[in-house]
Amino acid sequence: MSRMKQIYSWLDARLQLGKPLMEMGEHPIPNRTASWWYVFGSAAFTLLMLQIVTGILLALVYVPSAGEAWNSLNFLNHQLTLGWFLRAMHGWGSNFMVAVVLIHMAQVFLFGAYKYPRELTWTLGVFLLLMTLGMAFTGQVMRFDQDAYWGLGIGASILSRVPWVGGSLVHMMLGGPIIAGATLSRFFTLHVFVIPGMMLAFTFLHVWMVLKLGINEWPMPGRVVRRSTYMAEYHELTAKDGRPFVPGGVWKDAVFSAAILAAVAVCAVVFGPFGPGGQPDPTIIQTAPKPDFFFLWLYSVLSYLPPSMETPFLLIAPVLGIAALLGLPFYASEGEKSWHRRPIAILALTTIAVSWGVLTHLGTYTPWSPHMDAWSGGPAIPARYLQTASPLEREGAVVFQAKQCRNCHSIGGYGGERGPALDDIATRMTEDQLIRQVLQGGGNMPAYGKNLSPAEVTALVRFLQTLHPANEPSAADAAQAATQAGH
Amino acid sequence: MRAPIAAALLAACCLMSGCARHLPAMNDEQPVPRPQQIVSFDPLYGQNCSACHGSNGQNGPALDLNNPVFQQLMDDATLHRAIRDGVPGTQMPAFGESAGGMLTEPQVDALVAGMRKRWATEGTTRPAQIPSVTTTLTGNAAHGQQLFATDCRSCHSGKQQQVTDPTYLALVSDQALRILLIAGRPDLGHPGSQTGWQTVANGHAASDQDVTDLVAYLASLRSATPGQPYPGTADGVAQAVSNDPARTRLSAQPTTQSRTEK
Repeated sequence: MSRMKQIYSWLDARLQLGKPLMEMGEHPIPNRTASWWYVFGSAAFTLLMLQIVTGILLALVYVPSAGEAWNSLNFLNHQLTLGWFLRAMHGWGSNFMVAVVLIHMAQVFLFGAYKYPRELTWTLGVFLLLMTLGMAFTGQVMRFDQDAYWGLGIGASILSRVPWVGGSLVHMMLGGPIIAGATLSRFFTLHVFVIPGMMLAFTFLHVWMVLKLGINEWPMPGRVVRRSTYMAEYHELTAKDGRPFVPGGVWKDAVFSAAILAAVAVCAVVFGPFGPGGQPDPTIIQTAPKPDFFFLWLYSVLSYLPPSMETPFLLIAPVLGIAALLGLPFYASEGEKSWHRRPIAILALTTIAVSWGVLTHLGTYTPWSPHMDAWSGGPAIPARYLQTASPLEREGAVVFQAKQCRNCHSIGGYGGERGPALDDIATRMTEDQLIRQVLQGGGNMPAYGKNLSPAEVTALVRFLQTLHPANEPSAADAAQAATQAGH
Repeated sequence: MRAPIAAALLAACCLMSGCARHLPAMNDEQPVPRPQQIVSFDPLYGQNCSACHGSNGQNGPALDLNNPVFQQLMDDATLHRAIRDGVPGTQMPAFGESAGGMLTEPQVDALVAGMRKRWATEGTTRPAQIPSVTTTLTGNAAHGQQLFATDCRSCHSGKQQQVTDPTYLALVSDQALRILLIAGRPDLGHPGSQTGWQTVANGHAASDQDVTDLVAYLASLRSATPGQPYPGTADGVAQAVSNDPARTRLSAQPTTQSRTEK
């Protein structure tokens, strides 16, 4: 044992790290801050370490070339023992990291922890968030499949909208005029060297400041932050009602980090790795590419924006958003920390969280997008709808499928959601209204008058007229009945 | 203190060596193939056919492929051609790459082979008297009308299963009518629909001539202007757009065509 001590003394005499590390471990934290609310930052750090370890292991096999990347991922998935598990850990680690970083940020905002003297800690945190998202996007490109290919296409077309220099920016991003080997090399460099390097440096400074400035105290209504008095008040608090970080607070961090790692592993085992999907070949058009979950909200926003709003939104909103985040601690560096006295902060956070949740949820099932294969594939119109149908009505159902109506209109729970479901359309529209709607379109539906023969329209409308519940009559035009009775 | 460390090391070694193989493997055993490389029946049928022909080849709006008589009637080349090039005069579109669709020749072959394997009844030989899918005979519409009156009308003249509607007839070709007459739609479970061609002609099996005549009769009911809306009025469009009494009186009179129906 004394031998070990000797080695330690020899090293410490030169490194001189022992004392500062002890000080860091023993630095006092307020008693109430030793709370489960303060574990997200350390969990994000743990996930970063997990990503670095799994990333290094993946890089041992992954081939960052346009011709081989897809194959090497499939080799990992299908040939290498536990290769799929490694990919799943890295993929789920990424999802968890984005989520934990966002929760960490929301908690810091809610607790007013960005105020004096921790403004710079927050600012670095904002950059760390952007880098985390950058890692997520570049990581999606590493999975060089159809989603990656078309995701790059979207990224390039967003960049191309920048006035004057858009074209050059795209050229720089793709490493040429098209998505090719140079593009993958660039994104590999970003994902493996540039962003992680910056991230480690920023993380070091971020954690350094947390340790040096002390962790934020539990916000109490009425305990107002003032530049002139804050530091003295904080030191008084930790001296009177504090405990050393190790072991007083660190055990909760350790337990939560372990739980997060376990959750990543469980997700990895149960749900498996992400992709790779189909080959990144633009000639394969039977594909519906989709971003990973952390960008689904953006996917939804862009789908719902009117075309004229796209460029202003894409170019102005991110600048404003980032500026607001960066400016926040300088605009509100003093004052109340407690959420009991910050209604606007609560409202803002709730609005952002609810909007994000709703947009992400919409992005998972894309109701705005036609289901391009519902006309030919999937379950047929339920048999009970056609059990008593006449030959003409049944032929109308065939027209409904063959003319691809079902790509936008679901029947029996299957089909697109762009237009309304038609299971009980006959209770809402009369024969005349159905004919007019089919021929002329309207309400976001194209006109089909020129694409359907009169016989097809009649058959289709006859079929649609059968779509009503058994105990509910179909809508009828009283005038039509009267006219026909009159003759 | 040593015991837990040893246990952890043991677990780690175990994971590294062989026990890891007991962890669940990937769900999909193969990389995602290119769409043109898929040649197994289920995904191809599920993506291209099931919405019209039913997930098990039955109870879809279009023709039931899971019908032994239909499978006996059609040869491989005809089925292949129908899938690749579509069927003119019906709603069946072309799926072959050569005709602008998405399926390669091997994929069309896989669909035909898969249908045969699943839905053609094994071991049963084709009955001798079953009419063939095409004919060289000339149809006699008048005899077809007689046959229709005696054998078909009881079910097919009412509103429910009316097959004489010119709009319906505009959407099915003679060939499709012939196939339907011979093969029936047993999946619908309507009375008498189990047997198709065998019920026609007073319970006796219909001959090739009978089927040809019936098709000729139905073909004679086609209209130059099919698809008129408003059932019960012979010239519905005129009535709808015009309040001119003279016109509506005229249109209320039965035309030659609807007289033939009666």
